[in-house]
Amino acid sequence: MGKEELLKAVEDALIKLDEGALMKACDDALAGGVEPLEIIEKALTNAMTTIGDLFEKGKMFLPQIMVAADIMKKATAKLEEKIPADQKPEKLGTYVIGTVEGDVHDIGKGVVATLLKVNGFDVYDVGRDTPLQNFVDKAKEVNADIVGASALMTTTMVGQKELIELLKKEGLTCKTMIGGAAPTARWAEKIGADAYAENATEAVEVAKKLVGAE
Amino acid sequence: MEYYCRLGDGHLIKMTKEDMKNSIEAGTNDAAERGEIPALTDDEQEFLLDIMCNPQKNVSVEPGNEIVVTHDIGTIRIDGDQGNSGVGIPVSRLAGILIHERAFGTDTMELGHIDYSFKPVKPIIFQEQQTVERVNLLATILVLYGAMPNLGLYYYPDGPFNNPSERFQAGDVAGALEAQEKAAEHAHRDMVYIMKNLWDVGCEGVNFDTTAAAGDADFYATLMATEELKRDTGLVVEMGMAAENVIGIHGSIEYKGMRLAGLYPHEQVKVAEKAGVDVFGPVVNTNTSRDMAWNMARAVTFVKACVEASDIPIHVNMGMGVGGTPMFETPATDMVTRASKAMAEVAKVDGI
Amino acid sequence: MGMPIAHVMASGMQGIRAAGDLVARMQFAKRMRLKEAKEYVAKKLGVDVIELVDVEVMRNLREELDIGVVTSVPGAATGIEAKARIAELLGIPIAPVERLKSKLE
Repeated sequence: MGKEELLKAVEDALIKLDEGALMKACDDALAGGVEPLEIIEKALTNAMTTIGDLFEKGKMFLPQIMVAADIMKKATAKLEEKIPADQKPEKLGTYVIGTVEGDVHDIGKGVVATLLKVNGFDVYDVGRDTPLQNFVDKAKEVNADIVGASALMTTTMVGQKELIELLKKEGLTCKTMIGGAAPTARWAEKIGADAYAENATEAVEVAKKLVGAE
Repeated sequence: MEYYCRLGDGHLIKMTKEDMKNSIEAGTNDAAERGEIPALTDDEQEFLLDIMCNPQKNVSVEPGNEIVVTHDIGTIRIDGDQGNSGVGIPVSRLAGILIHERAFGTDTMELGHIDYSFKPVKPIIFQEQQTVERVNLLATILVLYGAMPNLGLYYYPDGPFNNPSERFQAGDVAGALEAQEKAAEHAHRDMVYIMKNLWDVGCEGVNFDTTAAAGDADFYATLMATEELKRDTGLVVEMGMAAENVIGIHGSIEYKGMRLAGLYPHEQVKVAEKAGVDVFGPVVNTNTSRDMAWNMARAVTFVKACVEASDIPIHVNMGMGVGGTPMFETPATDMVTRASKAMAEVAKVDGI
Repeated sequence: MGMPIAHVMASGMQGIRAAGDLVARMQFAKRMRLKEAKEYVAKKLGVDVIELVDVEVMRNLREELDIGVVTSVPGAATGIEAKARIAELLGIPIAPVERLKSKLE
C-alpha cells in the first residue's frame, strides 16, 4: 500500500468513528514508513475537517464529534510516542470564547467551543451573558491567541464592538473573532474584528487561519 | 449590463445577468446536495433570474397567485422597543393585532409576550389568559398564541439542568444527553400547561416559533406538546422552525421511529404531520456573505421540496435573515418582494 | 414596513380587506392546501376564486354578509360578532365563539 492509501485509511477510520480500525491504520502507516507527524497533520486533521463539514450539513451530530475527538486523542497519543520531544506538534492555539453581556444565548457559542476544542485548540469558555472584563481577564490569564465573542441579537452585538475596544485599551494583541445570528462580515470589519464566521464549521477554519495553521 | 442585487446582509451590489445566473445555479445545487432533493429545473432557474433582473424596484405575483400572509411576533413588532425589529410605538398588544388586521391586511395574527419564550409565560399565565380574552372580543382574524420552545432556558444558569455545552466540553457526553432529555420533558410540560390554560379561555391556536433552535431535543419537546394538545384540546397548531437543518445536539432522539437530528424541511414536515401539526413553517437561513440570488435559489429549492412532500399547508418563514430575506432588521423591499414572489410562484407555498 | 406590508403588497390576500382571513381559516381548521381553501371559500361566498382578492367585490360582499369589514362602519359586525358569522358561513367551529356560546347556555 502506498503512502497516500495508508493516510487515507487513517482518515477513513476516524470519519467512521472506528477506534479499532483507526489504531490499526496508524500502525500500518507507521510500518509503511509514514512519518507520525505527517499522519497527524494530514490524515487526522483532514478527517476532523470532514467531520466538521458533515456536522454542518446535518450528517453527523455533536455526540459523535465527541467520540471522534476522543479516539483522535488516543491515536495522537500513540503517534506522539514515536515523535522526538523537540518535534512534537504544538497546540493550535488558545481560544477564549463567550457570549457578550446582556445576551443569554448559549447554544451556538457552545457548539463553536466544542468544535474548536476537538480540532485542537485550548478552549476557555467564559459562558454567556458575560461581562466584557471577564473576557479580557481570561485572555490575559491564559495568554490567548484568539478571543471570540458571540451575540445573537442586533441589540447585543454592540457588546462585540465594546469588547474589541476594551481588549485594545488593555493592550492585548490577540486576534479577535465574532459570530452569532445578527453579526455579519461587514459588522466585523466595521468594529475592527480580525474575522467573522458564518457557522461553527467555518469558525474552526477561520480560527486555524488566524493562528497560521492553514 | 449590470443589475442591482444585495448581499445576504442587505448591502446593495451590482451583478451581471451571467453572474446572477451562476449564483442561482450554485444556490439551488447547494440545497440539492445538502438536502438530497432535486435542484430547481432550468425553467424555474430562468424564472428566478427574471425575478432578480426585473428592472422594477418592487415586484409582485400575477393576479390569481396570491397566497395567505400571516404574522408571528407581530404585536411585538409594533410596541417592541428593544432596538431590534420593533418600532417602539407605545400601543397595547391588542392594538398591535388590530393594526395588523385593519391597516396591514394580515390574514392571521399572533399574540406573544415581550420575552417570547414559553417558560416565562407560566408565572404570568393569568395575564396572558385575560389578554387572549380581550383580543378575542375585538379581532376578526384568527389569532394564535405564539412563543419559542427555547430549551436553552432549562439549562444552567437559566434552568435546573446541566448545560449540555459545558458537559460536552468536559467530555461528559452521557451528562449532556441526559440534561437534554430532562429539559425536553419539562419544556413539553410547560408548553402543554400554558396552552391548555389559554385554550380554556378561548384561544384558537398556538404557533411554536423557532422550533429546534436548541437542537433535536427542542424539536422533540415541541412534537410531544403538539401531540398532547391535539389529543386534549381543539387548538390549531402551527410549527415554525429555526433553521433548515435540525442541529444534532443530542443526536439520537427519535419521534415515532424517526431520528430528528439532521432532518431537512421536506423531512421535518413529515414528522410534524405525525404529531398533528396543522400548518408547517419551514426555515432556510440566509448566508450573509453570499448574494441574494444564491440565497433565494437555495431557499426556494428547500421550500419547494417541503411543499411537495407535505400533506398540510406550508407557510414559509420569511422574516429577517430567513427564506430569501436579507439578515437586516429593516430589509429592503426590493429583496423582500422578490423573495415573496419566488416563494409563491416557484416554491408554490400555501402562505407566508 | 419592510416585512409585513411588503409581503402583503407583493403576494398577500389582504386579510379582511378581501377574503384572505377566510382562506387562512380553512387552512388552519381543515388543513386545506391553498387551492382547495380558495375554492372552498369562493364556493361558500358564491364568487369566483379570482374575486377573493378583489377588494371591490369583497368590500361589498363582506358588508352584505356582515362578517366584518376593514373600515369603520357603524353597526357593522366586528370581533366576536363577525367571527360568529364567519363560523356559520364556513361551517367550522371557532374557539372563542364556542366558548361564548357555552357561557351563555
